Amino acid sequence: MSIFEYNGSAVVAMGGKNCFAIASDRRLGVQLQTIATDFQRISKIHDRVFIGLSGLATDVQTLYQRLVFRHKLYQLREERDMKPETFASLVSAILYEKRFGPYLCQPVIAGLGEDDKPFICTMDSIGAKELAKDFVVSGTASESLYGACEAMYKPDMEAEELFETISQALLSSVDRDCLSGWGGHVYVVTPTEIKERILKGRMD
Amino acid sequence: AETLQIVVSSSPVPSHANDKESYLWRSHTGGFGTTLESRGSCKRNQGIENQKKSERKVSSAVSNMSRRYDSRTTIFSPEGRLYQVEYAMEAIGNAGSAIGILAKDGVVLIGEKKVTSKLLQTSTSAEKMYKIDDHVACAVAGIMSDANILINTARVQAQRYTFMYQEPMPVEQLVQSLCDTKQGYTQFGGLRPFGVSFLFAGWDKNHGFQLYMSDPSGNYGGWKAAAVGANNQAAQSILKQDYKDDASREEVVELALKVLSKTMDSTSLTSEKLELAEVFLTPSGSVQYHVHSPESLTKLLVKHGVTQPAAETS
Repeated sequence: MSIFEYNGSAVVAMGGKNCFAIASDRRLGVQLQTIATDFQRISKIHDRVFIGLSGLATDVQTLYQRLVFRHKLYQLREERDMKPETFASLVSAILYEKRFGPYLCQPVIAGLGEDDKPFICTMDSIGAKELAKDFVVSGTASESLYGACEAMYKPDMEAEELFETISQALLSSVDRDCLSGWGGHVYVVTPTEIKERILKGRMD
Repeated sequence: AETLQIVVSSSPVPSHANDKESYLWRSHTGGFGTTLESRGSCKRNQGIENQKKSERKVSSAVSNMSRRYDSRTTIFSPEGRLYQVEYAMEAIGNAGSAIGILAKDGVVLIGEKKVTSKLLQTSTSAEKMYKIDDHVACAVAGIMSDANILINTARVQAQRYTFMYQEPMPVEQLVQSLCDTKQGYTQFGGLRPFGVSFLFAGWDKNHGFQLYMSDPSGNYGGWKAAAVGANNQAAQSILKQDYKDDASREEVVELALKVLSKTMDSTSLTSEKLELAEVFLTPSGSVQYHVHSPESLTKLLVKHGVTQPAAETS
């Protein structure tokens, strides 16, 4: 049993037309036992950048707190919010700092860049960035997620259709993974609003 | 390096005692004295002079003797003063003033911009007011480069607390932690103190709105109204008379503008010479730090009738 599969997780992000969606499951487990069904894996960095972290839950929380620290200082010194590309580079650098004793999580970063173009990327636990135009996945359900997203994704979807697609992809993938599930948490972000929705799927 | 010059001549050694000429000898500490002394005799004379001084009970300002005690920051003078810290406060007394006043529903900070020139590139960043964290801001008076270092330190300290405890750092603790840093420069390291005074304005859930003033010695105090920088004594005395408890933010802004217009050296008050910021709670309960735009400032100046040249003060 790998340490990355200790708590169980599923995170996916998709890019649409001037919008993006990021979704995660809500289960927190200790191997086979479920101990929480409302665990937050996706966090807002600022109104246009979100990060979803899969993997060991303690590292998910600590890494997020460290990123808030760095981003707050950036905001105070530069008097502006971080661009998603810059933020991704920051996360990658922070992860590589711990190259020989890493944070056991895989982040998924999604944001709206200049001209409201969606930006999504994922990286491994030591900071290898992988940019994509369509979708990125991470967590114990990642293999199912790759399949589901590949089948369901179309480019340039609007916000509502994007929400439908990402929700279906997430729910069908976590159903095939015993360590993730218990509902879904979806954020759909457009230049004007952030819509947060909770999904109810197979509660197991 | 010290050089020893040996002169062989029949003329008498010049000394202060001669009527016609008076000479001052350079002493080893860099000051001047009336007799040629070696380091040893210097120390002996120090002891004698100290005795004489305590007998005479002379309270001097910066006398010749004090020159020995101001070259190092980390030693006391015989009168028990830290000269370097006092010189730092002198430097601040020449800088643009800043005033902070506590209101019932917020804190108001106002600063006088000393550097105004047509050639200056007006960027969005402020000269006198800085945000330390979402719930704390500060106004600065003194050497700007020193201020930048301390502001960065304060920002990192606030973030470290938030990282550790996952809640915003209480205002007094932030001020205390920064003042501990400043104090270090008055006790060890042989480095000079920071030439900055701060006015911290913030809110926390334990004590509500607070205003703190800190100086180069690392001392700080909580105030209802305080002034730092040029003419701060005059501003402080006007504040003492005119400050009212539980005033609203608008009344406090008016008071701040009036006090600054009376104590500022410049002949007229325009929005380019001022910076005005307020710390208050939004209806949703979060702390907001808002810096007024030049247009909004001009409107306020007109509204409170302070755009005319400042009246002559005694």
